Amino acid sequence: MSSAGQGFEHGALRRHLALVGAQLRVSTLAALEYRVGFWTEGVVGLAWSLGGLVPLIVALEHRDDVAGWGPWEIVLLTGFFLIISGVFASAVQPAVSESMAKIRTGTLDYLLLRPVDGLVSCLSAAFEPWSLIEVLTGVVLAVVATIQLELTPSAGQLGVLALVLACGLVSLYALGVLILSASFRALELQNLTFLMETLLDFAHWPISVFRGPLKLVFTFVVPFAVMTSYPAQSLSGALGASEVLGAVVTALALAAIARLAWRRALRGYTSASS
Amino acid sequence: MADKPAISLARLDKRFRVSEREPGLWPALRALFRREWVEVEAVRELSFDIARGERVGFLGPNGAGKTTTLKMLAGLLHPSGGRAEVLGFEPARRRPEFLRRVALVMGQKRQLSWDLPALDTFELNRVVFDVPRGLYAERLDEMVELLDIGEVVRRPVRTLSLGERMKCELVAALLHGPEVLFLDEPTIGMDVAMQLAIREFIREYHRRHGATLILTSHYMEDVAALCERILVIDEGRLRFDGSIDALVRRIRPLRRVAIRSGAALDDATRTGLGALGQLADAGPSRVALDVAPARVPEVVARLLALPGARDLEVQDAPLEEVMRELFSRRGELDAGPGEEGAR
Repeated sequence: MSSAGQGFEHGALRRHLALVGAQLRVSTLAALEYRVGFWTEGVVGLAWSLGGLVPLIVALEHRDDVAGWGPWEIVLLTGFFLIISGVFASAVQPAVSESMAKIRTGTLDYLLLRPVDGLVSCLSAAFEPWSLIEVLTGVVLAVVATIQLELTPSAGQLGVLALVLACGLVSLYALGVLILSASFRALELQNLTFLMETLLDFAHWPISVFRGPLKLVFTFVVPFAVMTSYPAQSLSGALGASEVLGAVVTALALAAIARLAWRRALRGYTSASS
Repeated sequence: MADKPAISLARLDKRFRVSEREPGLWPALRALFRREWVEVEAVRELSFDIARGERVGFLGPNGAGKTTTLKMLAGLLHPSGGRAEVLGFEPARRRPEFLRRVALVMGQKRQLSWDLPALDTFELNRVVFDVPRGLYAERLDEMVELLDIGEVVRRPVRTLSLGERMKCELVAALLHGPEVLFLDEPTIGMDVAMQLAIREFIREYHRRHGATLILTSHYMEDVAALCERILVIDEGRLRFDGSIDALVRRIRPLRRVAIRSGAALDDATRTGLGALGQLADAGPSRVALDVAPARVPEVVARLLALPGARDLEVQDAPLEEVMRELFSRRGELDAGPGEEGAR
């Protein structure tokens, strides 16, 4: 892994992990300065995400399933949705927004002057710990739904779950990096983070709801649906090898494109103001 | 064989592409579909070397290309042409081993976390730059003592004054012990006392650690007090390279001799003094003359002979005046190194 010449020399992984740890510490300390953040970012965020489930609940009142997914399967899906949206709200979105603000004010200079990978610096630039409430709630829902559905996933199935969840997170970060890279060129593109947030709402729904081009888009281009449907399916063994392979290839391709876009963006960095 | 320079530039260029349009609604609408771009040359064929441990002042009007050059040397901007080398590294490649040995301090930008005490950002930088704890504590103690900010570093940054914040910014930038220090307007907006404190700190840091230093500042006192050599840049080009004395002598070769008289000067005396040099100031009981260096002893003798003569001063023209004159004579003084500056 290298960016604009920032190679990973000996001990680099340790230093990068230490950087992420130190950044998380600073962001958490900053968040603790403002207790009101607990309510605005944590609890309201969770309520907002759960509120997005209303259409699904309404649909289940009129029929036994949604595109083959029963009520507890929908709860399982919701659990994974909250995990993904919680990671987005606590880590991806704050870091991308903070980095964009630094591009606008020119203080990204200080991040790029660090002897570490600039992208790691940017992706750990801010963190909102309150939003982890969503992640925790998601984990609880997923566990409860697994018990209710009487699923007993094998070690292999748990391995596939970890793999597709990792693919989902890599894809999520890659999309964030693409938006961040684009904003080097045109700061107006900062609004794309809101578009990404809105698109993330589609991950409430099982992937089987979508047909034709939409299914392709949500599987390979902005694979939000895959981030939640595939983990849920993996627990019941309903996920095929081709789908797992598709998730891996999509995540790797998105990561590679994001890395290239980042390197290109850095070359064109103009460092706002003096 | 002479030591390799710490910093070496050869025909360094930086061009920016910026969009341009006429004012008004129609040009704005047209620009939505077809934007016109112009190329701005921020730095043009800049060449110079800086030896290890040297203190260099980078002077020039706003938009001259000073900050752009510093950013290229720190590895933030990619040059459009030419070559830059700092400590043997190509800055734009931003190798970690290069970044660990340089620092850029910008007076108009902050790296400290706004809501937290500066100590928290220092700790973050300790981890980022991989500074051993013992060395970190030693450096922190040294700088906190030099800057007298023992309590300041424990208060949230948002509650600090501009000067206190800048002191903390300097500590944050220097904790990893950089060998090359780029200082871009470190005292901007500060009162005289704070400027002096920052200046003294930089001088002491250099004395103790021997770092190579490039400073840009709008305050000529900063440059005069800290830098043994100055580079004057204008419209992206190097206009002068040498000592401050050499620049002053080149632009304003006359020296200013001033004196106060115990009694009001009559017209005849004034006229007589006027024949000795250019009359720069002639108050009722004060006179200042700009004279050629060779005539200074003669003029001093004449002025001291005035009734009740006191407060005699002999000095070069103020650097501010020299710079103003230099930039008003664009093209006249070109690219050449100063008398002592051909390096």
